[in-house]
Amino acid sequence: MRYSPTLLDHFLNPRNAGLMREPDGTGVDEYEGCGDLARFFLRVRDGRVSEVRFQTYGCGPTIAAASAASEKVAGRPVEELLNIKPQEVEEAVDGLPEDRKHAADVVAGALRAAALDALRRRRGGEV
Amino acid sequence: MSRRVYLDHNASTPVHPDVVAEMLPYFGERFGNPSSVHGFGREARAGVDLARDRIAKFLKVPADEVVFTSGGTESDNMALKGLAFARGKGHLITSKIEHHAVLRAAEWLETQGFAVTYVGVDEYGMVDPDEVKRAIRPDTIGISIMHANSEAGTIQPVAAIGALAREHGIPFHVDAVQTFGKVEFDVNACGIDLLSFSAHKIYGPKGVAGFYMRKGTKLQSLQHGGDHERRRRAGTENVPSIVGFGKAVEIRARELKDEHVRLTALRDRLWEGIRARVPDVRLNGHPTERLPGTCNLSYRGVESESIVLGLDLKGIGVSAGSACTAGSVEPSYVLVAMGVPLEWAMGAVRSSLGGSTTAEDIEYVIESVEPIVRKLRAAMPVGA
Repeated sequence: MRYSPTLLDHFLNPRNAGLMREPDGTGVDEYEGCGDLARFFLRVRDGRVSEVRFQTYGCGPTIAAASAASEKVAGRPVEELLNIKPQEVEEAVDGLPEDRKHAADVVAGALRAAALDALRRRRGGEV
Repeated sequence: MSRRVYLDHNASTPVHPDVVAEMLPYFGERFGNPSSVHGFGREARAGVDLARDRIAKFLKVPADEVVFTSGGTESDNMALKGLAFARGKGHLITSKIEHHAVLRAAEWLETQGFAVTYVGVDEYGMVDPDEVKRAIRPDTIGISIMHANSEAGTIQPVAAIGALAREHGIPFHVDAVQTFGKVEFDVNACGIDLLSFSAHKIYGPKGVAGFYMRKGTKLQSLQHGGDHERRRRAGTENVPSIVGFGKAVEIRARELKDEHVRLTALRDRLWEGIRARVPDVRLNGHPTERLPGTCNLSYRGVESESIVLGLDLKGIGVSAGSACTAGSVEPSYVLVAMGVPLEWAMGAVRSSLGGSTTAEDIEYVIESVEPIVRKLRAAMPVGA
């Protein structure tokens, strides 16, 4: 199989998929040329991520990467997510094939954007 | 994994056991070179001759007008480049939905000074013979229109186009790789001068195909060497595969009619079953004038490859209508030519049924598709 058991499990049973009402931060990233898209919603309590939801449009690895990443970031300080790297997302699904690395890029990008949005809102538009 | 269902017969088919049995002696005891004069060679020659006779009989053409090649791609290249090189200059007509073997050969010929017109198709993937007629110029040297496209499966009006070609004295090539042995047609009644057809789509081996050349059609050979295939295609014949090809055709000749009826019913059941369970799904291709086993469906807003992966995990092999390769997405050029909107084209999945497909398989696929699409849509952004 081309994909890891972890990736396939997240693809078949995505965790935290769906919308969130009145989130504290949202962020989107799109992979140009491919159309893969990820959108994250964050709920923040005491500076930490208390709840995560995501939506994706893309191939299986993108859905799996978003699901795995959503579990990874729960409970962490929002500031930390400003620097989340694609490598961490990739590790969460136990690796990606070379031609699917963009799945980690788009998920990490959307998470960084959501964290930035949450911090902006908290500080009244300034970060 | 409990059940395995192969629904990708337009890509390739398993070799029929009787075909394997017929091929085996030609790897061993009958290994000779068909060009050799001695008994070893004559045995191999007899195998090649029998295969040619079987195919000629099936096509109702003289055996010496059938040439063996290495695949559909070579046959298509022989047709386009053979026609072009034999004339040195001129104009070709083909369609936007041809196999890459025709399209890329035509595009390359453009770089060599030939002119090419690519006619379009309607929403069902059908070429309009009138558009072909309007494209004909005084210097048109060939028309190449496929019999059916592998993705949408729409069967083209080749008889009408063939009549036009004949009326204008223009050689007519048909890429029949997807219809040969699956759909009945008459090379003579359709006015076909050159025909490409392949073995591995009809339960024969890979690496062998056929090329029909009507006598008197001026064509330049592309491969130079020995006098094989009456100097039309140099190179020692792939004897075991040619023998297998002949056997595969003999079997298809017997089974074609019944399989056509059986697969058409299963194909239609697949579409009806999925349509009844899954919202926002459409059929790509002509509703009736279509390959018996081909069912190309688009799921709006879902990405093809994720459905293919979901079905793969259920043991079902289908093919994606759009391909995401190294981060660049390519919706099928066939569906784009048919005017299928991008949001639908990106979610196209082709099932192609064949000899092993049962009614139980189809019910299993119908049941498997619905939860996969529902889950994918649940994770999908609205309006993406």
